[in-house]
Amino acid sequence: MLAGRPVAPCYTRRRLHVVVPGMPWAAVERATVIEIEGLSKLYARDVFALDDITLHVDRGEFAFLTGASGAGKTTLLRILLRQELPTGGHVKVDGRDLVALAAADVQAYRRALGFVFQDFKLIPRKTVFENVMFALRILGVPDVQQRRRTFQVLKWVGLQHRANAYPVELSGGEQQRVAIARALVNEPVLVLADEPTGNLDPDLALDIMNLFREINGTGTTVLVATHDRELIRHVGRRAITLDHGRLVETA
Amino acid sequence: MIGGLKYFLSEACLSLWRGRRSSVLSILTITIALFVLGLFLLLSANLERTVSEWSRSAEFSVYLRDEATPIERGAVERGLRADASIAGVDVVTKEAALARFRRDFPELVPATLGAPGNPFPASFEVRLGSSAVNASALETLATRLRTMPGVADVRYDRQWLDRLASLIVFIRWAGLSLAAVLVLAAGLTVTNVVRLALYARRDEVEIMELVGAPMSYIRGPFVCEGIIQGGSGAILALVLLRAGLDLARPPLAAVASGLVDGNAIQFLSAGMVALILLGGMLVGCVGGLVAARRLR
Ligand SMILES: Nc1ncnc2c1ncn2[C@@H]1O[C@H](COP(=O)(O)OP(=O)(O)OP(=O)(O)O)[C@@H](O)[C@H]1O
Ligand SMILES: [Mg+2]
Repeated sequence: MLAGRPVAPCYTRRRLHVVVPGMPWAAVERATVIEIEGLSKLYARDVFALDDITLHVDRGEFAFLTGASGAGKTTLLRILLRQELPTGGHVKVDGRDLVALAAADVQAYRRALGFVFQDFKLIPRKTVFENVMFALRILGVPDVQQRRRTFQVLKWVGLQHRANAYPVELSGGEQQRVAIARALVNEPVLVLADEPTGNLDPDLALDIMNLFREINGTGTTVLVATHDRELIRHVGRRAITLDHGRLVETA
Repeated sequence: MIGGLKYFLSEACLSLWRGRRSSVLSILTITIALFVLGLFLLLSANLERTVSEWSRSAEFSVYLRDEATPIERGAVERGLRADASIAGVDVVTKEAALARFRRDFPELVPATLGAPGNPFPASFEVRLGSSAVNASALETLATRLRTMPGVADVRYDRQWLDRLASLIVFIRWAGLSLAAVLVLAAGLTVTNVVRLALYARRDEVEIMELVGAPMSYIRGPFVCEGIIQGGSGAILALVLLRAGLDLARPPLAAVASGLVDGNAIQFLSAGMVALILLGGMLVGCVGGLVAARRLR
């Protein structure tokens, strides 16, 4: 499947150094990328989607977030993407306190992350190339650099020949690779993925996981939520297990 | 900055095209609202101008008794010249009045002037100043002059013109109120049409939010869409007004030739045109903002 792709990633960790105004901390390197202390999330009364979670993910780490359906994986990732605010506790990502993050800074915070969704979330009206380039455009990267970098990342996921196709013209696996390219193109410190292989068949799932492994190989911190224990065993990395909103084990 | 504007514009145009039915609807509501506004402005401006022209040529004459003494005449003339709203005073002697009558109505001369002597009184014909004439002050002056010795009569036919002017003011306010209601309705239509466009693209908007696009970047195209709708509506309304005026000119000239010169009807001033155009765009902008504000 990924045969046509170069084994060594063309993607390097040379940062674009897009310094977001008013966010000087973006340049500060920290040992811990995700710091979660006593985090809880209550949707309805007495129903904890997350219950007193304390968790650290170090820079350059690759971790799985697993657990049965309804365990709270998506809830945790939504909090990390600042789509949801926790009911209690503290969350810091790369030193940024997400609870204290002003509404006006949320978009800028998200621009510094990479996120991959189960349903890809590609803009149907835009071509593959435009979808990926979009993440750079909103960062204000110069035009020429946008194109070069987009092409580079598309090549890395092995889709440079489909650059002008629209998402509907791609298979699920290809769409997810485009989504991964988009999550990477801004050279994020942290890539989050919620069931990125949930809509794909097992072979493709492994391909996608290999992509995440390669991303991690360049030093990017990766956190992937999945309930596929088989896949986790296959990849063999740290697994953070949730059960009914509680942290069960982190092995 | 320029790149952003280009992006807003192209996105807005695309969205307008995709929802062309509702876009046309909202452009038309703006057109109607601004057409009504423009029509009332056009009417009131032209009526006002006509009335002020009539006012300028309005007659203000002071007729003197034949037996008035030179001192009395002098007092009346000084009283007139002292008034600020009076531009000039022409003295018309009895002889001049008779000569003018002979000249203007030669066919009436044998019938009316059979008897010897001059029946015409001497008078002061007053030329009034510009339109900024204070009507009530003139009225007071007329009343005062009537009581002066040597004055037979004062004719001042400006009163009805002043009433006409206040009628025009009323027409203008009625028109503005009607237009305000229509503009509000148009604004609501734009809001809803933009909201529809937003709804049609909610998935895309959600994706942009999740990827971290700045809110201004997400809202921009929708606000732009509103502005384009408002601007197009305004342009359409102005074109219709212009065309309507050109069409109405010949029949108007035929019907009201005695009152107004059809060709003297003027289109809205450049300032008014700009006002309507900017007003349309502003209404569209507000509509787009209100719709896009609901994004988070
Ligand atoms: N918006 C919401 N409102 C109310 N309850 C919610 C909401 N989202 C999630 N929940 C509840 O919170 C709990 C955790 O849900 P969550 O989606 O985080 O689980 P998950 O681990 O991602 O499950 P899955 O593997 O099925 O995706 C569930 O009991 C769910 O019903
Ligand atoms: Mg989930």
